[in-house]
Amino acid sequence: MLKLENYSSKILSNISLYIENKNLIVLGANGAGKTTLAKVLSGVITSENIEFETPRTKFVNYIPSYLEIFDDFLNVREFLQLSHLHGAQTIDEVLHLLEIEHLKDKSCKNLSSGESQLLLIASSILHGAKYTILDEPTSNLDPKKVKMVYGVLKDENLLQNKIIITHNLHLAYKLGFDVVYIEDGKINFIGTNEQFFSSENLHKVFEGSVKKIDENIVIAL
Amino acid sequence: MKIFLIVLSLAIIAVAPFFGQIDLSLKNLLDISTTDYKIFFDLRVPRVLLAFFVGAILALSGLVFQTIFRNPMSTPFTLGVASGATLFTAIGIIIGLSAFISLFAFLGAVITIIVLFMISARFKTYETSSMLLVGIALSFFYSASLMIVFFLSDLQENYEIVRFTMGSLDVVGFNEVYLVTIAGIFLFSLVKKQSYHIKLLLTSHEFAFLKGVNVKKTNYILLLSVSVAVGISVSVTGPIGFVGLIIPHILKNMMRQSADKLILPIFFYGGVFLVLCDVIARNLSTASDIPIGVVTAFIGTPFFIYLIISRKRQN
Repeated sequence: MLKLENYSSKILSNISLYIENKNLIVLGANGAGKTTLAKVLSGVITSENIEFETPRTKFVNYIPSYLEIFDDFLNVREFLQLSHLHGAQTIDEVLHLLEIEHLKDKSCKNLSSGESQLLLIASSILHGAKYTILDEPTSNLDPKKVKMVYGVLKDENLLQNKIIITHNLHLAYKLGFDVVYIEDGKINFIGTNEQFFSSENLHKVFEGSVKKIDENIVIAL
Repeated sequence: MKIFLIVLSLAIIAVAPFFGQIDLSLKNLLDISTTDYKIFFDLRVPRVLLAFFVGAILALSGLVFQTIFRNPMSTPFTLGVASGATLFTAIGIIIGLSAFISLFAFLGAVITIIVLFMISARFKTYETSSMLLVGIALSFFYSASLMIVFFLSDLQENYEIVRFTMGSLDVVGFNEVYLVTIAGIFLFSLVKKQSYHIKLLLTSHEFAFLKGVNVKKTNYILLLSVSVAVGISVSVTGPIGFVGLIIPHILKNMMRQSADKLILPIFFYGGVFLVLCDVIARNLSTASDIPIGVVTAFIGTPFFIYLIISRKRQN
């Protein structure tokens, strides 16, 4: 179980989360503290309020929203080799799955933002942790790729337990996972997908800027 | 191309001891009683070996510093290690302990790296530009302190300090060469052993941490071994700048591979580069050898700038 108890910092205040073998969606406004929470849950930000099963790498992994690499000449295949820890799939299978085989010899530094996002998702599958936290995994993807990644996230065999931070409400709705909503560093809502995406709750949280029309979540412009 | 470079480099190392102000006859080298034999085996061969391992240590240290501080401009020298060694040596000279200047240079280098590490540990993440600024500030502080030392020194001491700062590969016999050789091999095997971690650190520290690397511990091991190796080589030769900055860059751009695959090439060609510079320094038919640091800078700078420009054009 991924357990965080009474965590407070400059950004977050008194957060407790208990995640036992399930998927979760984390929503919240810009600057609400979602990424900070992800970094605490994955140990990138150290805290005494959380415990990890050992080895930590097998227990939790965090996938940031953009790829950061210093080495100019590390290629895609090498990056995936470094990521390949506990996942059952081979590198070629994952490259094929995410339709990025053609990039395998390209330097990671020369990828577009969408390509690096797919690379990060590939790396999360190869890492194969029990809990994988994905920070805005679809923010740079075109609609076809979003649909493909939706399939990956929906598939129980690729990643065990996912905690997905996103601003894509329609994706969040269709995934159907439980929802945590963060506002100003506090958990404002925690419950089922159905509860969160009820018309009344949407109106309460987003004050009319989000509407549910025929099972689609749309931004009312 | 690759094989040609290796053969050429080995040839440079092999013929390097035969060049110098005094021409040696091959026949005399077989006779143990000749002066030629003495010059060759007591001066030239140790000198070439020393140049090779000092160059190798400096180049590899550059790679390690660039990895840890995540900045292509970080080397032990740009971060103030050379100025640290120089200042401590100068202090050693004016308090009348010229006999121990090697020890002072070693202490200066090691203490500076420890100070850098303690400061960098205070940053939450390794803020690379802050680190470089700290290094530059430290260098200025050392220069100012060196001015005070110069002010307090007499003419003879003044001359000794200036000679040290120029760097020199003058060496007699093998004792110091053995020391530097051991330091070089030690640094190489340690970096090689950490190459997987280095590869991970060159993505991002966060990524390396998530893949199970103890980032602090790895950095600590690497910095400590670099400080010892650089400390030893500076104590023998004085500060020789530039090798640590340009060799990793040149090889990265020529070989276009991730840094873990460059450990051996950087070590080897760093050594070859300094041997070549030393051959040039010894054979420009001036009254005495020109300082080695001058040659490394004169050859290195134009080539380095050319590489950076051509790389920018490619992108």
